[in-house]
Amino acid sequence: MKILLIEDDMIETMKFQRAISKLDAKHTLVEAKNGEEALNQLQSSNVMPDIILLDLNMPLMNGIEFLNELKSHETIKYLPTIILTTSENREDLLECYKIGIAGYILKPLKYEDYESKIKRVLEYWDNNELVKA
Amino acid sequence: MPEKDIKLLERALERQKKARLMAEKILEEKSKELYDTAEHLKQVNARLMRLVDGDAKETDDAFINIVDPYVVMDLHMNVIKTNQSAKEFLGFDYTKEAMNLSNLVHPDFFQYTIESMQVLLQVGKLKNYTAKIYTKDKVEKFVQINASLIYDKNGKPCAAQGIIRDITREMEIEDLVAKQRKKMDSERLKYSSIIANMNLGLVEVDLENRIQMANQSFCTMSGFDEEELLNKSFLDVMKVKNKDLVEAKSNQRLEGVSDSYTVEVENKEGKTRYWLISGAPTYDHDNKVKGSVGIHLDLTDQKELEFQKEALLVQLEESNKGLQEYAHIVSHDLKSPLRSISALATWMYEDYKDKLDETGQQNLKMMQDKIASMDKLISGILEYSTAKSSALAQTEVDLNEVIQEIKNTIYIPDHVALKIPKALPTIVADFTKMRQLFQNIMSNAVAHIEREKGLVEVRCEEDEKYLKFTIADNGVGIPEKYHKKIFEIFQSVGSNERSTGIGLSIVKKIVDRYQGKVWIDSEVGVGTQFHFTINKKLVNINQFAT
Repeated sequence: MKILLIEDDMIETMKFQRAISKLDAKHTLVEAKNGEEALNQLQSSNVMPDIILLDLNMPLMNGIEFLNELKSHETIKYLPTIILTTSENREDLLECYKIGIAGYILKPLKYEDYESKIKRVLEYWDNNELVKA
Repeated sequence: MPEKDIKLLERALERQKKARLMAEKILEEKSKELYDTAEHLKQVNARLMRLVDGDAKETDDAFINIVDPYVVMDLHMNVIKTNQSAKEFLGFDYTKEAMNLSNLVHPDFFQYTIESMQVLLQVGKLKNYTAKIYTKDKVEKFVQINASLIYDKNGKPCAAQGIIRDITREMEIEDLVAKQRKKMDSERLKYSSIIANMNLGLVEVDLENRIQMANQSFCTMSGFDEEELLNKSFLDVMKVKNKDLVEAKSNQRLEGVSDSYTVEVENKEGKTRYWLISGAPTYDHDNKVKGSVGIHLDLTDQKELEFQKEALLVQLEESNKGLQEYAHIVSHDLKSPLRSISALATWMYEDYKDKLDETGQQNLKMMQDKIASMDKLISGILEYSTAKSSALAQTEVDLNEVIQEIKNTIYIPDHVALKIPKALPTIVADFTKMRQLFQNIMSNAVAHIEREKGLVEVRCEEDEKYLKFTIADNGVGIPEKYHKKIFEIFQSVGSNERSTGIGLSIVKKIVDRYQGKVWIDSEVGVGTQFHFTINKKLVNINQFAT
């Protein structure tokens, strides 16, 4: 699968890279440091991911702002977007589901837990029929 | 002289003749009447004279039909004769005792009585003599007497007769009316001074809404002099924001409706004032609406306070929301680096465990533990800061279910049993808050039991106002000096390194929100009883097995 990870924190990106490197299934990772960068990448259309993993708290354009932009776009709005965040704020959760997301994953404290969670999420999406342009 | 004129004159003469005949006839009739009257009077007089002379029988016949008291006296006011009515009224019988009428007269009327007697003697008649007298029983009466003289055969006055009218009641009524009038006058005076000096603006308008009267307070309130207001419409003088409302209310007055409403006006200085106007229609003598009267209360100060309060509430709500958001952001920003550190420490262990000695590996583990307790602390602070500000949900909460859920969530050591001796009630409350409340107490209770067989019980009692819950354990107990302290934030009294000291302060906050109290009974080595109450009014109990 081609995964677009939108995450501003370097170590979080490293965590994700390390987690998928251990998986049997091979995934391609595209990174964006914030929502703006991600939108630019999506619109240049060289990179069309299968799924998007989106952090919420980011500088410049945060996750919810990005989500709104994405959903107002004619074609890329179909991309399944899964939130990957530390925010337990119920308001955020409700808002995201309202706009339209494919999942809301809380980052656990322990790295081992994180790894197993990511593994299961990716396995699930691997089993799905994807939109793919 | 022309024939025609002669005829006219003859006709006129004829008419005059007829008129004269008519006049003579009328004259004749009148003189006959006069004669008859004189005859009648002569007869009456004769009868009276016989009466004066002592012929009692006939007079009784003559006056028996007079309902009013009737008295005959000599010229020195000695009673000669009375009818039955007078006997009853004056209370004495002339046949049994002598009586001089002057003895009955109230002293205030002596002089007046003497003068009246003189008038009677000179004129022969006395009309509407009015005086206060005493009856024989010393009862005060007001009487009005019409009297005339009686003459003897030689035409000399020998006695007087009079008809008495008891006007005591009339006088009393008159007196009462006078007093009432006086009272009303003083009352009117009193009210007019109240109206002039009261802090309420009073305005009277006519049917065309022209001001007929405005008191001093209204002038002060509006900034206008009375001259500037009189005979003008309120709406023409003052700038009123809700003009339509005032007009509608004025029309309602004409239909007899009275009520109150608030208007926003500009006074003479151009300052905005808020007035509460209570208006009522006024009526003329025929009960027709003649206008209305309005009492004006200046509400500006209260209104301004109200606006301030509203603004403050909005501000408070915003800052509350802001605080919550802030708490979430802080918690996120604190937790994120913790996750990074935790990941790095994990990798350090994974990647370099061959190169680390046992101490190094141990230190990395301790680092993870510290990270975990820090994470817990942050969650706790977030919970604490939202315990008070977030809105309370209102759903039906079966507390037995809550306990069951907690049982499945928290770690309960194998040697500890959790029991609910009697089913708990279902209440209307915030499920999450209720779970926090019970969980924070229960996780404390189950964690501090060193006995072989631990027991934690959740019980509920009910009185008129409160539900009282008790979570009892047979654990190590809490020394008395900590009984208050444990509910303060960051005060962990246990030896457990993982406890953050936030859990019970959240308990207190939640109990506060349900208007209850929380306290403990505890004896070291015996056990602890956590008690808390919640106000029944706030949780709408609909079923409770007692």
